Amino acid sequence: MNCSIDEWFVVALARTVRDREVVFHGFASPCAQVAMHVARRTHAPDCLLVEGATYAVNPDPVFIPPTSNDLALHQDAVYRMTFEEFFDAACRGDVDRMFLSGGQIDGWGNTNVTAIGPDPTRPKIKLGGGGGGCNISATIGTLTVWTTRHRSGRTLVRDLDVLTDIGHRTPEGDRAELGYPGGGPEWLITELGVFDYADGHARLRALWPDVTLADVEEATGFDLRVDLVDGLLEPPTEAELAVVRAVDPLGVRRLEFGPDELKRTFPCDS
Amino acid sequence: MSSFHLDRDKRAELDDAAALVTDGALVALGGGLCARLPMALVRALIRLGRRDLHLIGSAHSVDVDLLIAAGAVKVCEESYVGFEQDLGLAPAYRRAAATGAIEARESCCVTILTQLRAAEMGVSFLPVRGVKGTGIEQMHPEYARVTCPFTGDELVVVPPLRPDVALLHAPIGDARGNLHLDQPYVLDVRFAMASRRVVATVDRLVTTEEVAAAGVTIPAHTVAAVVEAPFGAHPSSCYPGYAYDRPHLAAYLEAAGSGDVTAYLDAYVHAGEDAYRAAVDPERLTRWSGSVADWQELFR
Repeated sequence: MNCSIDEWFVVALARTVRDREVVFHGFASPCAQVAMHVARRTHAPDCLLVEGATYAVNPDPVFIPPTSNDLALHQDAVYRMTFEEFFDAACRGDVDRMFLSGGQIDGWGNTNVTAIGPDPTRPKIKLGGGGGGCNISATIGTLTVWTTRHRSGRTLVRDLDVLTDIGHRTPEGDRAELGYPGGGPEWLITELGVFDYADGHARLRALWPDVTLADVEEATGFDLRVDLVDGLLEPPTEAELAVVRAVDPLGVRRLEFGPDELKRTFPCDS
Repeated sequence: MSSFHLDRDKRAELDDAAALVTDGALVALGGGLCARLPMALVRALIRLGRRDLHLIGSAHSVDVDLLIAAGAVKVCEESYVGFEQDLGLAPAYRRAAATGAIEARESCCVTILTQLRAAEMGVSFLPVRGVKGTGIEQMHPEYARVTCPFTGDELVVVPPLRPDVALLHAPIGDARGNLHLDQPYVLDVRFAMASRRVVATVDRLVTTEEVAAAGVTIPAHTVAAVVEAPFGAHPSSCYPGYAYDRPHLAAYLEAAGSGDVTAYLDAYVHAGEDAYRAAVDPERLTRWSGSVADWQELFR
């Protein structure tokens, strides 16, 4: 049996969710969205899943549509938080994990989803924006950061053009100095590899089987710290793959990948 | 004197209701992403030639982009404007931010919520839990930092936002202005409570008994005008009535991406709402409820 990069990527994100966590993804996050449902239907059945821009609690989507505020995501939900109820919970520390991405990500896990270019008042590219991130990234228990654009060389950067969401350390200080109670990024998963955050800085721990260390070095703008270990990126199980395909029959997760990345396939022995 | 709206019958024509928004007004846009956006009112504002609007909201899309493309906006204070991974960045927003035609003063869902709550409570500021040390803080000279008198922590504080008008769309409402919404309400309830007035469109005007039975989400005393505008959220969705119109959004984005929306505005805005409904055939978007296959087909 084979799987494609988007399927394995989603499973790798899903495995960062622990059972009995309260987990959340923002809008414009199809891979994280699918991953949370995969986690709840496999190893984390008692997580409390807050469905993105609908704030529904533990819904089973009819399917994942390409827009994050749609009834298909929460038609069967028994309960929907209100907007203010969710963000209050996130600010006071009752949300354990959030998935977060960015147009730029620095070595400390800060992200920029606001603007590209030297002058944010006349941005070369105005990005969509950060949603609730610049508050709740400071307070949520821990973050799984991801990007599918590492290979571009423009995503993992030394310096952000704008700091939207808080990682482990900003130019003004670390989380303790800023008075931020959340734990910050735990994982950074890219289409090239998996990083953790020893001492608050990204450290490469695993590579996808078709990626070399040289590929990552070439694509990474911040200081690359490397300590590779075995067993962190195991291929998806048959059960996980079946759930990915069932949850996301339209393949909305694939919208995050460029066409060349989507050609990547891998054998799965299980 | 109370700012509550006590008239018994607030039914109005669409363009008369939209005219309650004046040039330069602070305008809250209801709904979120591509759902329940007050699009009939957006089109009416463009017909009226409104200018220099200051928009606030959480995560938005075609409502904000179309107003910018038509030259109606001076300041944008949303947490997100775009079409997610599906249809991408918002072209008029991106271009106007790059040239300085608008001030893209990006905010955060939580910050906007906090500023609305300050307006609701009648207090002159409230603290937020994050923001400190971010680029978003630097874009907002109106924010400040204070030291908490109880903990000694340094916190960012934000002033109230009291919109002149909140533009909301609801599936049903009555003549007095009681509105029923299905969840997610996004910020609509907070907008209604914080604003000087709500101007609402409804897909269907119904009796007070019917809206009360469904549940009143927005009470009439916050609403200054209510307009029956079938498919008034199109091309965004308004469930349980209709899904969003992905092909129409794609056509809009092609026009906006080219930098010239004249033909789009002529075809879909200046001709009025009756012509609009005839042109876009929104009935097909009600087919979502037929079967899962029908529903999925609307997203392909």
